[in-house]
Amino acid sequence: MVQFLQQLINGLSIGSVYALMAVGYSLVYSIMNFSNFAHGGVIMLGAYFGFFSLTLLKLPFAAAFLLASVGTFFVAIIVERVAYKPLRERRAPFLYFIISAMGASILLENLVIATIGPTFRTYPEVFSKALIELGPLAVGRLDLIIFLISAVSLTLLILFIDKTKLGKAIQAASYNVKACALMGVNTDRVILTVFGLGGFLAGIAGVFFGMKYTVYPQIGNITTKSFIAAVFGGLGSLPGAVLGSVLLGVIETFVAGYLSSQFRDLIAFVILIAVLVLRPTGIMGKVTEDKA
Amino acid sequence: MKKLLFAALAVALVLAGCGGGGKSDVVKVGWLGALTGDQAVWGENELNTVKMLFEEYNAAGGIEVGGKKYQLEVIGYDNKGDPQESVNVTKRLTGQDKVVAIIGPNSSGNAIPMAPILEKAKVPDIATVATNPKVTVQDGKVKPYNFRVCFIDPYQGAVAAGFAYDRLNARTAAILYDVGDDYSQGLREFFKVNFEKKGGTIVADESFNSGDVDFRPQLSKIKAANPDVIFMPYFFKEVALSANQARDLGIKATLLGGDGWPSDQLISMGGKAVEGSYFVNHLDYADPAVQDFKTRYKAKYGKETELNGFLAHDAVLLFVEGLKKAGKPNGEAIAKALEGIDIQGITGRIHISPETHNPEGKDAAIEKIVNGQYVFQEKYAAQ
Amino acid sequence: MDWTYIQGILMLAGINMIAVLGLSLLTGFTGLFSFGHAGFMAIGAYVGAWISASPASTPAGLGLPFILAIVGGGAAAGAVSYLIGRISLNLKGDYFCIATLGFGEAIRLIFNNVNRFGGARGWPGVPGKSTFVAILVADVVAVLFLANLVKSRHGRNMIAVREEELAAQIAGIDVFKYKMISLIISAVYAGVAGVFFAHYMTFIQPKMFSLTKSTELTIIVIFGGLGSISGSVLGALVLTALPEVLRAFEIWRLVFYGAAVILIMVSRPKGLMGGMELTPSGIRKVVAERNALREAKAKLLAEAQSGEED
Repeated sequence: MVQFLQQLINGLSIGSVYALMAVGYSLVYSIMNFSNFAHGGVIMLGAYFGFFSLTLLKLPFAAAFLLASVGTFFVAIIVERVAYKPLRERRAPFLYFIISAMGASILLENLVIATIGPTFRTYPEVFSKALIELGPLAVGRLDLIIFLISAVSLTLLILFIDKTKLGKAIQAASYNVKACALMGVNTDRVILTVFGLGGFLAGIAGVFFGMKYTVYPQIGNITTKSFIAAVFGGLGSLPGAVLGSVLLGVIETFVAGYLSSQFRDLIAFVILIAVLVLRPTGIMGKVTEDKA
Repeated sequence: MKKLLFAALAVALVLAGCGGGGKSDVVKVGWLGALTGDQAVWGENELNTVKMLFEEYNAAGGIEVGGKKYQLEVIGYDNKGDPQESVNVTKRLTGQDKVVAIIGPNSSGNAIPMAPILEKAKVPDIATVATNPKVTVQDGKVKPYNFRVCFIDPYQGAVAAGFAYDRLNARTAAILYDVGDDYSQGLREFFKVNFEKKGGTIVADESFNSGDVDFRPQLSKIKAANPDVIFMPYFFKEVALSANQARDLGIKATLLGGDGWPSDQLISMGGKAVEGSYFVNHLDYADPAVQDFKTRYKAKYGKETELNGFLAHDAVLLFVEGLKKAGKPNGEAIAKALEGIDIQGITGRIHISPETHNPEGKDAAIEKIVNGQYVFQEKYAAQ
Repeated sequence: MDWTYIQGILMLAGINMIAVLGLSLLTGFTGLFSFGHAGFMAIGAYVGAWISASPASTPAGLGLPFILAIVGGGAAAGAVSYLIGRISLNLKGDYFCIATLGFGEAIRLIFNNVNRFGGARGWPGVPGKSTFVAILVADVVAVLFLANLVKSRHGRNMIAVREEELAAQIAGIDVFKYKMISLIISAVYAGVAGVFFAHYMTFIQPKMFSLTKSTELTIIVIFGGLGSISGSVLGALVLTALPEVLRAFEIWRLVFYGAAVILIMVSRPKGLMGGMELTPSGIRKVVAERNALREAKAKLLAEAQSGEED
């Protein structure tokens, strides 16, 4: 029983990291209908921004946190402008976007290696790493803080999309970009907002990832998992991305803990395929009309 | 765009072509390793070491070979840690740059596919930390042009298992290893075999995948098995992460590792979590023989050398001795000369066995982490 | 420049070319995108190595001739692709693409755990039978087969599926069947490329067949131009050589590579040879189109001018 609860805590903690990353994937997918693989690179930059704000600029945590998120906000927008906008204007098929995104991700990762260096760096201790012990169970203080801030920022995001005019425009565009443009919505602005929001969340995710684990140029690779989580939850749905992430984290943990750790990742891919085949729209995905 | 691309191609080809010429009294030596990708830390360190030593030799007037003085020149290429690129680079070094020998690479997966090319070109390679037995011996036959200055995985695994059983009195052990990494799978296999042979029990044998950062699911399982020691045969980033997470979960067992551990980063990232842990190393850091090199490296590059620097240092020593013994800067002659050669390196005595091309009888050093320092325990040879 | 070095790169390009040609059929002619073809290469490489490696080596092989390894590797990849196709070919475009990503990675993870084939430690001692001539012959056969297929009724049906799936269905084309044929052929090509790769490297490891490799193949197809066989050939040559050419830039080379990929997508979305072929008739067609365009422009211009005069 102790083992079971501890694994559940482990799974939730892993899932909450996936969630912050997965939301960025889903947000972009909901409007652009493609998987923005450059998102991992942006998260990685967020981790570095936060790290240097804390160590070089010696900023307090809240300021560093904000600076990192604002930094990735702009990086994400630049990526959109450089790598996607020309394709968008030409109405290129989605694969071109994916390839362009992969190019951007190769570029970002190696830019960091060439300029900052390949070594990994450790975040200074911002929060006490002391554990909260509940009997034989261990819960990381950092985990709890991450969980809370993630929950707050995701709630704010959902409120923003539900309540503001711009948010409504995003919702409308996610149903039908063309019709939306005809109704007089500035779709270019909507798309920029979506990328900016995704970038902002990438900054948060990057800083937390860095604090929890470490900072290194290949952080982007880990986001494949969060991408799977986004598909699992249903690409394009924000609550779906969160739910998918938490479920994937917990399932993975239980597979590793009770079946075999060799199969931890294999199971993740099996789930991915099973979901695609049985319910391609994921748990809560938006249903798109088959245009084929 | 196309024009631009072709212009870039043309420029690069010209640049590449220019590197070819050289004076007759220069001996060209190749180096390959990762300068980009996740292994770049080690590659950069090795290439820096080779460059520094060659500069020192040249400043001292060069190497006398067969009555003639030669200057040394290193041609180093990035292989991204990718075997396919290693093959390309080896072809380039042997074919185009006409090097007489190659130093590196730092991983077995990259060293193994080089063999047929080396044999064809008759150019010897001295690997630094490629520890898979199959780098130099395949199916009982020694590969004529592959050499190395490090001990091999079966030996390291046996040392770790022997030390855990005999010196730490461990009777139960857990293993956590990287299933996607050849080095980690190798060490895990030999540790398991030897520890069980001694009479110990492996109570948990868990794996993760290259690139993972969260090991708590596996560690929680290991915790439940309550082992005396946990063997962690992988590199320091993952070691620091998994050690921290193990302590977070309240695991008190002694941690034990291999030569993927030593690094400044391990201490700065692992902190208290790795305190009191043991690992198998190629050398004793406190050994007076290595201090000089450490200081020189620090003075030149402004940072500490990694473990790879020491082995690259000895690979250079071995090459220079081979070159002198061969009496001429010729790959085939150097390869012959390397067989049976016996030198004193900073990582220990290196006696290249003609049967295996390994440095036979090279003792492993056991280090313990005490107060954030590596403290030498003993030279330990596996029985 | 030295021949062994150049030859080595040409051989690699030739091996990539086989896989790229197969993928070109799937992506360029049938309109299905895959991020998992490195998985089929892995199957070809491992089965091929098993067939031709000596029984005395570890891991042990069967010691059979190279030609059987090629056939066996290709057939194994084709068989697996059939199973995968049964499960996933009904998925819509981007979901199919994500599913192939999952399959490709799953295949690699499985090989990591198969100790019989060396696990992550890899399989050394694969005989070095991929000669320059053998690869060249395979490339020629691959191109000829594909060119004939594309021109045949089957090829036209595949293109119809790419252009308008629904319309093709209504017109009586068995869409699923043609997607399946296309997938199997592309997998066989990838498998054969894997066999050649294993016998070129003489050593294989699961991590050689990662998602990065799949992506690389797809990038080459798009770079060469969708729906063009000569584009795939050119693309494989240029993009396999590119990292070697960029070697002069040292640590910056992957930065340039990434930038080049974006630049190609953004500036020339049809790739080098999108929809065109480097054959006499293909060139004539392009020239004729250009001339027609020029004449039309001239005519418009003349009309506009005459309009001003009025």
